[in-house]
Amino acid sequence: METYESIRKWKDEALSSFMNTSISLNKFHDQVMLKVLEVAKGKMKQSTPPCEFTWFITGSGGRFEQGLISDQDHGLIYEISNEENDIYFKELGEEISYGMNCVGYPYCNGNIMSSNPTWRKSVEEWKIQLIEWMKNERWESIRYLQIFYDGRVLYGNTEYLSDLKSVIFHYQLQHPTLLQRFIANVKHIKNVIGPMGQLLVEQHGVYQGCVNLKYSAFLPYVNAVRLLSIKEGIFETSTIDRIDRLKGKDEYKEMLRDCKENFITLTKYRLSLLNAQNYDDTHYLNIKILSKEQKKEIKQILKCGKRLHDEVIELTLAKN
Amino acid sequence: MEAVQVLMDNLWVAIGAILVFFMIGGFILLEAGSTRMKNAGHVAGKTIFTAGIGTLVFWAVGYGFIYGDGNAFIGLSNFFYGDASAADGGLTPAVDFSFQVMFALVSLTIAFGGFAERAKLSVYVIFAVLFSAFIYPVVAHWIWGGGWLAEHGKQDFAGSTVVHLTGAMAALAATMILKPRIGKYNKDGSSNVLAGHNQVYTTLGVLILWVGWFGFNGASTFGVADGFLGFVILNTQLAAAAGAVAAMFTAWAKTGKADVPTTLNGALAGLVAITASCGFVAPWAAVVIGLIGGIMVVFSMQLFEKLKIDDPIAALSVHGTVGVWGTLSNGLFALPALSTDIDWGQAGLFYGGGFTQLGVQALGVAASGIYAFVVAFIILKIMDKVMGGLRVTEEEEIMGLDISEHGSYGYPEQMALEEAKLTTAATKEKFS
Repeated sequence: METYESIRKWKDEALSSFMNTSISLNKFHDQVMLKVLEVAKGKMKQSTPPCEFTWFITGSGGRFEQGLISDQDHGLIYEISNEENDIYFKELGEEISYGMNCVGYPYCNGNIMSSNPTWRKSVEEWKIQLIEWMKNERWESIRYLQIFYDGRVLYGNTEYLSDLKSVIFHYQLQHPTLLQRFIANVKHIKNVIGPMGQLLVEQHGVYQGCVNLKYSAFLPYVNAVRLLSIKEGIFETSTIDRIDRLKGKDEYKEMLRDCKENFITLTKYRLSLLNAQNYDDTHYLNIKILSKEQKKEIKQILKCGKRLHDEVIELTLAKN
Repeated sequence: MEAVQVLMDNLWVAIGAILVFFMIGGFILLEAGSTRMKNAGHVAGKTIFTAGIGTLVFWAVGYGFIYGDGNAFIGLSNFFYGDASAADGGLTPAVDFSFQVMFALVSLTIAFGGFAERAKLSVYVIFAVLFSAFIYPVVAHWIWGGGWLAEHGKQDFAGSTVVHLTGAMAALAATMILKPRIGKYNKDGSSNVLAGHNQVYTTLGVLILWVGWFGFNGASTFGVADGFLGFVILNTQLAAAAGAVAAMFTAWAKTGKADVPTTLNGALAGLVAITASCGFVAPWAAVVIGLIGGIMVVFSMQLFEKLKIDDPIAALSVHGTVGVWGTLSNGLFALPALSTDIDWGQAGLFYGGGFTQLGVQALGVAASGIYAFVVAFIILKIMDKVMGGLRVTEEEEIMGLDISEHGSYGYPEQMALEEAKLTTAATKEKFS
C-alpha cells in the first residue's frame, strides 16, 4: 500500500537516475504525481469518484519543462456540478495539494492548486469562469488564462481540457483586442544584456554573479511561443512541441529559426544545476564557472530569446 | 549708493535663485508623498536627474532661445550663457542665468507631474531635453524675452502662464497619451482613489514650495528698489493663505470632511494664482485671487477625474486651471499705479481699464497654452511611436517603478513584504 511517505522516499532515491534528459525527468515527475493522485483518491470516503473528472497540471509541469524541484500547479475539471460532486472534489482537491506537498512539491504561492475553488470546477463552471476572465481583462485574470493554457492532462479524459482551451481560442478570434491584453501581460522581461553587450548578473545576495535563467532566458521563449499558440489555436503545451507545430506554418519559419535548438540547450543548462537545494536554486546559472564558449552560447540564446519576444509582440500588434 | 544698490539687487536675485531651486525639494516631497510607496524612490530620484538635464540644456540653448536676439517667435543668440563679468548697473549674466534656469526647472518638474507612476525612465530623459529646449523657452520668449506677447503688454509678473501653465499643458498632453494608471478607473467608469503614501511628505513639500515662492515671486522684482519686494511677498503670503482656507472649506462643504490633500492643493493654488498678479494688485485683491484659486482647484480636480484624465499630483488643476485664473486676474485687478502708470500694460477692469488688459491676458493664456499643449503632444506622440510606447509594461507598473526602472526600492523593508503579497496576487511564480 503506497503512502505519501513511501512515494517521497522512492522519488528521492530514483530521481537521480532520471536526470539525464529533461524528457525523462518530466516523465518521472508525471509518474510521481499520478501516484499522489491515487493515494489521495484512496483517502476519500467514497471508493469511486461520483462522476468523470480530469486532473491537469500547469506551469512548468504543464509545459513538460520542470527542473529538479518545482512547486505544484494543478487543477480539476469534473463532469457536472451538484452537491455531492462539489463536496467530493473539494475534499479530493485539498487532499491532492496536501499530498503533493508531502511528496516534495511545495504549495504554490499563487494558489494555483486543486484545493482552490478557482482551479476546481465543473466543465460548465469552467467555461463561465474563462469567459469571465476574458471579458473583464484584469491583469490577474489574463495571467490566469495563460496559465490555464499551459494545462496538460495527467489523469482523466483530455476532452474537457481541450474543449475549454478552444473556448479561449474562439473567443480571441472574435475579440482581437484580447491578444493585445495577452501581450501586455507578458511584455516585461528582465533584460540581461547590458548596453555594452555584457551579461548583466545579480549584483548582490546568494546568487551574486549569476544569471536568472527563468526570467531572462526561459520566459521570453515560453511567453512568445505561448502567445503564438493561443493565436493559432495550438493546444500542445510543451514549448518544443509548440515550436514544431508553429514551424509548420510558413509565416513563423523564419521567426522561429534556431529557437528550438536554443531552448533545448537552455533546458540542458538548467539540468546542470544539479546541486539545487531549493526551487530558486534551479533558476540561477553562475556564469563564472562557464567556459568562454559556454558564455558565448548563453549570450546568443538570451539574445535570440529577446529577439523572438520582441518580434512576436510586434507581429501581433501589427496584425490587429 | 547706486553701486550698493546694484550689488544688493544681484544679491537678492541670487538668493531668489536659491529659494526657487529649493522648490524642487518641495516638489520632490509633494510628488513622492502623493504617489504610492512602490514608486517613491523613482518619483523623488528622477526629479534630481531631470533637474540635471534641464540645467545643461537650458544653459546650452534654453536661455538663448528666450533672451537672445531673434524675432517675435524665438531668441537666437546668447547660447551657453553666463560668464564672470561684473555687475554693470544691472544683474550679472551669471546671476541672471542662475535665476532663469531655476524657473525652467520648476516648469519641467510640473510637467513631469503628469507622467507620474507609469512613464518609462527613458521618456523622462528625452522629454527633459526637448521641453527645456523647445517648449518652455518659446513661451518665455513670447512673454518675457521681448516676443510678440510682450509687445501686447502681457502682464505675468513671475510666471503663472510662462512657468505654471506651460508645465501643466505638457503634463496634460502626457496624461492623455499615457492614459490612466492601472486600477484608477473601473470598467463601469467609476474611479478609485490611489492614495499617496505619505501626507506628511506632501504637507512638508507644500510648505517648502510656499517658502520657495517668496524667491519665485519676490525676486522677480529683479532688485530691491523701493523695497517693492516686500509688497510682492505680502501679496504672495495672503493669496496662499486664502487659497488654503478656501480649499479646505470647499472640500468640507462638499463632502463633510476637510480633506488634507485638497487643503494642500488650495495653498498651492493660491500661490500659482498670485504669481502673475503679485506685482500688480492690492493686498485685498490678492486675498480674493487666492480664495477663488482655492475654490477652483477643488472643482477642477473633480472635473479632470470625471473626464478620466488621471492626474496623480493634481498638476493640471493646481498649475493649469489656476494658472489660467491667475493670469486673467490681472485683467480684473491690476492697479493703475502698477500698470498703466509705469507703462506695463493697462489697469484692470475694476479700475477703469475696461476689457483691454483682460483681452491681452486671455490672448496670452490661449496662445501659450495651445502652443505648449500642441508641441508637447506632438513630441510625445512621436516618442510614443519611436520608443515603442511611453509607458512601462503592466507588470512593471504593478511591481513599481522603483524596482523596474532603478533596481531598488525607496522603501526596501516595506516593499519586501508587499512583494510577497504581489507575488501571490500576480502569480508570478507560475510562469516557469
